[in-house]
Amino acid sequence: MDILKSIEEAVLKGKFEEVKTLTQQALDQKIPPNDILNKGLIQGLEKVGKLFECQEIFVPELLMAGMAMKEALTLLRPILEKSDIPPVGKLVIGTVEGDVHDIGKNIVSMIFSGSGFQVTDLGIDVSAQKFVDTVEKEKPDVLALSCLYTPTRLAMNDVMRLLKERNLRNQVKVIIGGAPIDQSYADLIGADGFAPDPPSGVRKVMGWLGK
Amino acid sequence: MKEDKIFQERRARINELRAKNERMTCRERALMGVKHQEPDRVPIDNWMVPEIQKKTMEYFGCDSYDELLGFLGVDFRNNYGPSYVGQSFKKHPDGTVEDLWGVKRKTVVYGKGTAHQGSYSEVAESPLEKLKTLEEIKKYDHWASPDWWDYSKVKADCMVYHPQYCVINVGDRLDRTSQLKPMMYLRGIQQIFLDMVMNPTIVEFIRDRIIEYFVAYNHRVFKAVEGEIDIFMMGDDIGGQTGPMLSLDMWRKYFKKAFKTYIDIAHQYGIPVMYHSCGDVKQFIPDFIECGLDILQSIQPKATNMDIKKLKEEFGKDITFQGGMDIQHILPLGKPEDVKAMAKYALDSAKKGGGYIICTAHNIQIDTPIENVVALFEAYHEYGKY
Repeated sequence: MDILKSIEEAVLKGKFEEVKTLTQQALDQKIPPNDILNKGLIQGLEKVGKLFECQEIFVPELLMAGMAMKEALTLLRPILEKSDIPPVGKLVIGTVEGDVHDIGKNIVSMIFSGSGFQVTDLGIDVSAQKFVDTVEKEKPDVLALSCLYTPTRLAMNDVMRLLKERNLRNQVKVIIGGAPIDQSYADLIGADGFAPDPPSGVRKVMGWLGK
Repeated sequence: MKEDKIFQERRARINELRAKNERMTCRERALMGVKHQEPDRVPIDNWMVPEIQKKTMEYFGCDSYDELLGFLGVDFRNNYGPSYVGQSFKKHPDGTVEDLWGVKRKTVVYGKGTAHQGSYSEVAESPLEKLKTLEEIKKYDHWASPDWWDYSKVKADCMVYHPQYCVINVGDRLDRTSQLKPMMYLRGIQQIFLDMVMNPTIVEFIRDRIIEYFVAYNHRVFKAVEGEIDIFMMGDDIGGQTGPMLSLDMWRKYFKKAFKTYIDIAHQYGIPVMYHSCGDVKQFIPDFIECGLDILQSIQPKATNMDIKKLKEEFGKDITFQGGMDIQHILPLGKPEDVKAMAKYALDSAKKGGGYIICTAHNIQIDTPIENVVALFEAYHEYGKY
């Protein structure tokens, strides 16, 4: 089997050691790193996303695929960064203030990374100030906010308000997610959009960036 | 109960409806409902965060939470089990405190400085998360013990509410009878999910320590109460907002056996069992029924596949549902008429033939306006009559 196809299959099955070995082999065969990413890893990840969305696989399998991408990227990233190939986009992500839940946010972070984004993950219980300072400094294309509880989603509002106050709102797209979030909540606080799960989040952001 | 005119007026609607509808004790009503019989009105349970309890007490002029529950017509009273008499929970210099399983916890405050300030006790560090092998995990020495509890007062605690109310042995949110939740606390959510794929022996080892504890603990609780618990509640969150968190096959592989064991133990003592899980658990329901589960709790309406009308049609003959009221959108963000419409829909869909206890799908959260809490309880009484 073509090695890129094998990488795709290994991501799909969440075999992260195999993904790493195959990625190294592909690099040794002088396959361009961007091809390994786009024609191997991301192909696998997209299939994983579809299976997750139609409830054929669940959190453990999605995590395994995310971890597999992470392993492969430890090999690819240094090379991609040295080349002139820019990342697909820049994303800053975190769980909002007062909320320490990160399983969903971590998966989203991994999947965006795996899809070729440069991701800055600010972690959990992140203040509006820190989000906005980071937006100002890093100039990401997208800011992604996560929460689990309904009272903590109110902290998303604070981030939106501060972005406006600091005249940064028009410089960054904002996507929000987490159990109590839906499109109506995104509309209510003036976020650009919401995604119910990591794969659809990647699709939405790709659409915004015209990719 | 405060008798000022303003409070009397605020209580009038619920008092009037209750006087019209109610013909039996709360306990009779609740147990009839669980047995799929139609009592005088649909049984009501209540889950609220403490801040909403306080706000609602103040609104209706109630001097205690028990007084509030009495006024609202809540048919159930929670029993939190025996008293903890084990070693005091270790406090660390960083402010964290170890729980029953040796998991470091911290209080996390949300909405600081706003009208919605509240707090939750959250995991600060999972002690088994960084361990690589089963051998390392086997050396862990902080597994909970059933000897750390004094079972002598739990019967009297339940009897306080009898014969008027239906007593649910709920345990505590953080150490309610379960399998997966303590595993998540001990090993970290991400790691235990990865273990389920990669390290089944680690999953089984941790799980079995948890099961051993709860099996012994529950036998002792049920013996000690001598029939004074009406319903036993256990819980494990396996549902997410848009689907289950794990596959049905994986649940069957790791969790189904002890799920049934826990139910069988309660049934040995003649106690019906309620199981809590947030989120979409629809595809597990046939297995829950097969294991003998009596009541499925939460029925989170904004999760996929959890529409109460469809669940009632498909499974209503074989299982009782508790919950169904949305705390994520309608209660915090909707208008009182939306709240009433939601309650009416659930009651119209699920009350027929008994087997439905109305309640919120989780605690009413701090961001819920008081007028929506009032509308909710008024609607329970307006539309709950048989």
